[in-house]
Amino acid sequence: MSEPPKAGARPVAYPDAVEPLRERTREALADGELAGNLATAAATWGAGRARIGHEHPFAQMRERTREIRRGNIGRLPELLERLEAQVTEAGGVVARVADSDAACRYVTDLAAARGASLVAKSKSMATEEIKLNEAVEEAGLRVVETDLGEWILQLAGQHPSHIIAPAVHLNKSQVRDLFMAESGDDLPGDREALVAHARRRLREVFASADIGISGVNLAVADTGTLCVVENEGNGRLVTALPRVHVAVMGMERVVADWEEAAHVLQILPMAAIGDDAATYVNLITGPRAPGEADGPEELHLVILDGGRAALRGTEFEEALDCIRCGACLYACPMWRSVGGQAYGSPYSGPIGAVLTPLLEGMRGERSSELPFLSSLCGACHEACPAGIPLHDLLVRLRARVSTPGTRRDRILFRLWSRAWRHPVLYGATRWGARLGLRLVGRGGWARRLPGPGAAWTDQRDLPTRWPPR
Amino acid sequence: MIAALARRRATGEVRAGAEVAAAAAAAADDWGVSRALLAGDPLLGELGVPAALGADGRELLGWPDGRGRGWRELLGLEGPLATLGVTVPALGVAQRGTLVLETGAGHGRSIDVVSMYHLAVLPASRLRATLAEAMTETYAPGRRRPSAVSLVSGPSRTSDIEKISTLGAHGALAMHVILVADR
Repeated sequence: MSEPPKAGARPVAYPDAVEPLRERTREALADGELAGNLATAAATWGAGRARIGHEHPFAQMRERTREIRRGNIGRLPELLERLEAQVTEAGGVVARVADSDAACRYVTDLAAARGASLVAKSKSMATEEIKLNEAVEEAGLRVVETDLGEWILQLAGQHPSHIIAPAVHLNKSQVRDLFMAESGDDLPGDREALVAHARRRLREVFASADIGISGVNLAVADTGTLCVVENEGNGRLVTALPRVHVAVMGMERVVADWEEAAHVLQILPMAAIGDDAATYVNLITGPRAPGEADGPEELHLVILDGGRAALRGTEFEEALDCIRCGACLYACPMWRSVGGQAYGSPYSGPIGAVLTPLLEGMRGERSSELPFLSSLCGACHEACPAGIPLHDLLVRLRARVSTPGTRRDRILFRLWSRAWRHPVLYGATRWGARLGLRLVGRGGWARRLPGPGAAWTDQRDLPTRWPPR
Repeated sequence: MIAALARRRATGEVRAGAEVAAAAAAAADDWGVSRALLAGDPLLGELGVPAALGADGRELLGWPDGRGRGWRELLGLEGPLATLGVTVPALGVAQRGTLVLETGAGHGRSIDVVSMYHLAVLPASRLRATLAEAMTETYAPGRRRPSAVSLVSGPSRTSDIEKISTLGAHGALAMHVILVADR
């Protein structure tokens, strides 16, 4: 009987502005391997989405999702009341918590009360947000991520770079090195062998874990049912084998009834991976029932506010409509260039640039910088299955975090604004810009602008003609 | 349903009731399984599936009794590795090749994912067109609410290494559905 695998490195906290965004993006842009991995991932996603667009009325489905989610957020307090009542009636325990500390404390207290030592986790963004792994390890327990991508990252001592495909920035030889370091086994380099190796190692964890922790993609208020969507099967094992199941959800993840739930469950994999079904959807209503031989004896549902309730009724409310599919990441030219790690937040891409400052209450470096990691092209809005106007939210956030600027800035912006109100002057600036770019550009691209423009081209190139060649 | 299953990298066939047992044994032979874990559903017995699966000296475990073996053995960490989980879905969703497995005393929620292979015996009369239809029926008001329902659409897979889909991540490496022509 071999030892259950250990995490290779202790989880590290998200770099709370250890280095400024500009440094993080510079490093990411210099990483050629990362660029290749991101390009492959985005291309695969794009092909899947194109196929789905042909086979299903995606545009109509998107309208319906938007309607459902707007309604859910509008009636949030009422839906949460009903959800809590239904989960309780099914034999579950519901804890409504205000913030990350309270959420983590609930889980560590529970673990201590049950004398637990090993925790098996399936992928969950909410637990990344509250830094649950660190809290649980500090309390003296061992946590093992069982989603393959998350486990790879845990071994690498890194954090997810994507909502759906957390280790999308690593390639198979990097994965092989991590697995060999963890197990001491000599492994072949092919994907099938690497997956089979992980399957065997992680089965040791499922067999002996005291507590299973999962996220919740969707909770159905009418029946008190938690939906855990996944492709690997670890979500089921985590919620079926350990004695205790703890599910952690953001308070906005609730829908009213099964008509709504079926719709969201249908569009989620379409948007996320360009497929019309995820392999496993685990629908959980309370703990194991009398007479049943598997399933947890206890079910705990932790419902996290974490700054969400305060967004209702504000100009940022639509950020709560997100169903966490990850489509806006793949669609975003920024994310495709720098990857998720550069965002320094569990939520990356356009939704991350919106959610991170909002949930942190617009405090700190990340809040003031992330809304500017966007070209405002609107590709995120187009890809979003809930139709969230992410580019509008980014502009509003920029307005909130921007400082007034110097007197000279204000005068320049006022002049610019005046000029562009006149068709002739507007045309003249365009003509001047085009001429200027051709003068400084080489081969269709301006790679270094003079004067104040130098900061702009520091990490970007500007096409001198449109469309660029 | 068969076409949707093929898209999901699973397989399916339609059989008359009398042919189901032989088809189940053939699938088990193809996969080379040495032990089967069967849902405690009377339908399997009526169709003669346990007898056919046990004929070649294969070990049979019924649910819930088989659960007594302990997770290490059911997960394949001890004992045979090539195990088969046999389920009887409550419903099927034809549009997307989805099985609706309802948990109950005789039907453990982990049967298909602890096993290496998954065989489902699904009466054709239980097929529904869309997920919405299947879910409104499963959670109809007044009906017993199952503690767990698993929607299963094909074998376990992961795209976590280089975005390329690889089968057999944590659950079943392959899935086969026998649709019983009962109407």
